[in-house]
Amino acid sequence: MEYNEKGVSIVPSEFKKEIFEEARKDFRYEEYVRGCLNCGVCTGGCPPHRFFDFSPRIVLQNMKSKDPELIWTMMDEYIWACFQCFTCAMICPFLNSPGGIIAILREIAVRRGFESARKVLKPYSRVLLKLTAYGNQLSPDMIQPDFFPDWGPTIGYASTDLAVKRKAIPMPTLQVTNLAWDVAPETMKELYEIFDESGVFKIIESVDPSLYEIIQDIVDDVRSS
Amino acid sequence: MAENILVVGGGPAGLNAAVMLAELGVNVSLVERDSFLGGNPKKFKYKFLFPDMQPADNVIGELIKKAETGGNIKVYYSSEISDFKENGKKFDVTIKTADKNELKTFDSVIVSTGFEHFDPARDAKYSYQLFDDVIDIKDLERMMGEDNFVRPSNGQPPKNVAFILCVGSRDRHVGNQYCSRVCCTVSVKQAIELREHFPACEVYIFYMDIRTYGFFEDLYWKAMEEHDVQIVKGRIAEITSGPNNTVVCKGEDTLLRGPFEIPFDMVVLASGMEGGPQSSEISKKLGIGLDEHGFLKPENVTLSPFKSNRDGVFLAGACTGPKAISDSITEGAAAAMNAYTYAVKNK
Ligand SMILES: Cc1cc2nc3c(=O)[nH]c(=O)nc-3n(C[C@H](O)[C@H](O)[C@H](O)COP(=O)(O)OP(=O)(O)OC[C@H]3O[C@@H](n4cnc5c(N)ncnc54)[C@H](O)[C@@H]3O)c2cc1C
Ligand code: SF4
Ligand code: SF4
Ligand code: SF4
Repeated sequence: MEYNEKGVSIVPSEFKKEIFEEARKDFRYEEYVRGCLNCGVCTGGCPPHRFFDFSPRIVLQNMKSKDPELIWTMMDEYIWACFQCFTCAMICPFLNSPGGIIAILREIAVRRGFESARKVLKPYSRVLLKLTAYGNQLSPDMIQPDFFPDWGPTIGYASTDLAVKRKAIPMPTLQVTNLAWDVAPETMKELYEIFDESGVFKIIESVDPSLYEIIQDIVDDVRSS
Repeated sequence: MAENILVVGGGPAGLNAAVMLAELGVNVSLVERDSFLGGNPKKFKYKFLFPDMQPADNVIGELIKKAETGGNIKVYYSSEISDFKENGKKFDVTIKTADKNELKTFDSVIVSTGFEHFDPARDAKYSYQLFDDVIDIKDLERMMGEDNFVRPSNGQPPKNVAFILCVGSRDRHVGNQYCSRVCCTVSVKQAIELREHFPACEVYIFYMDIRTYGFFEDLYWKAMEEHDVQIVKGRIAEITSGPNNTVVCKGEDTLLRGPFEIPFDMVVLASGMEGGPQSSEISKKLGIGLDEHGFLKPENVTLSPFKSNRDGVFLAGACTGPKAISDSITEGAAAAMNAYTYAVKNK
């Protein structure tokens, strides 16, 4: 992605510097990056460290190096290996937050529509749609075998006859399968304002333009109702 | 008439100050909170001292003997200062013993109230007190002093032992940012002693930096070259229970292996030194400064490390910060010299 056929980086160093400066200007940066003893406590407690070549100590050291090249190396796959559990921040003797740094770098990747962000966010497009267009997160009709392989063999049964199963829940529900809870149009309009103002819609447009279009159609409908 | 000088705290620093003053003919009152003299080395039965592994008794026992038999030194055991007032250039002090209060006037005062061992139970990641086989360097020192050198859980000799450095030091979580200075050397010394005692036992030291400063470095080299102690760079993130009655240390070997989980028969935590509750108490009672690390604050750390900010009150030993016995003894002598000069000048 960033190398030509001769193995030379084709990403200009100016651009890498810009990414680093963007991270450093984040209002959380000073709080997340302090001194570092290179002690490895963060990494010792980091769950993904056991499975991937990933280490919060390296994240923090790269950041402290102020070397845009080193920070750039993390922007592709590296930052997406983190679970955002913040164990590292809980146990670091310096009170650093490598997980927080990762959050800052991820936000940059998302804001700028980096390929790595698109790839990672793809499976979440249905959640993004429900959340931003309807103010819901997970609705019964999203329970489909393709999307929940981790549910194992029972997902097939769980995803059938949703309407009946929903009605059988012994407490008042919406009785529908496309929503988890009811959100009043007025509330939705306010939410759209927030998503507009905070740049959420813009981010979705840059990572997933077709999803953005679907969402905007719904937004327009609700706004004109 | 001879000068009267008060020494508070009968550890290595206070003992040496008292002994030197007595040799000058001063009447010394030595107030010790415990029922015995010798400070932490005596309390935890240190057996052999770094750097040269000489028996602790050569040093501590010797000082105690001099203080108890030298004349001129009145030792108040199980006692404390209950009242402290300035009286011109002198001090009116009430000494509270088990059965009475005694009011005395002193020409000058030496504070040598020492340190407390960091309590590792305060840092949950080490599971101290949760597992019998997780102990700390002072526990091990005492176990060795009592010739009871086995796994606490089952009384068997350990097959492998891990030392974990910087417990309670260099960690914002526990509020101690400073290095405790002696725990690297104590750990290396104990690692050697363990290897000598149990040649079949593997010994690991997990470190961030090995600070066997100055000549103490000799012990560190000896541990590697003559005793095959394994030195691994990485702080331990978690201690949990393992198979076959072991405790598992989890961490990152930052130089070689990456993530590791190693079961050990015994884990020894290198707990650091703290100013302890006595430092803030004595600071309030005597009106002398406390520093941001919780130790007593010298007037000038470089020029006069043995002087408090109050005229006539002097400091010696680990009450002003972590240090080895030799430094504590040196400071005891320096404080004695200064307290004596002050007393003579103001008589
Ligand atoms: C595990 C361990 C092993 C060590 N091994 C070595 C070694 O091998 N070699 C070496 O050089 N150093 C060693 N040290 C360092 C050594 O313990 C200290 O340098 C030394 O004890 C400091 O002497 P001190 O007199 O200043 O304080 P302490 O030994 O702490 O003595 C202070 C005394 O003051 C008394 N006291 C406190 N408050 C009051 C009060 N309010 N009123 C009256 N009395 C009071 C205490 O009861 C105590 O008796 C070791 C330290 C640790 C933690
Ligand atoms: S927040 Fe990320 S880096 Fe930190 S411990 Fe969790 S997974 Fe590891
Ligand atoms: S725990 Fe903190 S000090 Fe230690 S390596 Fe990680 S970031 Fe650095
Ligand atoms: S002496 Fe060693 S173990 Fe003790 S705090 Fe300093 S570096 Fe850590």
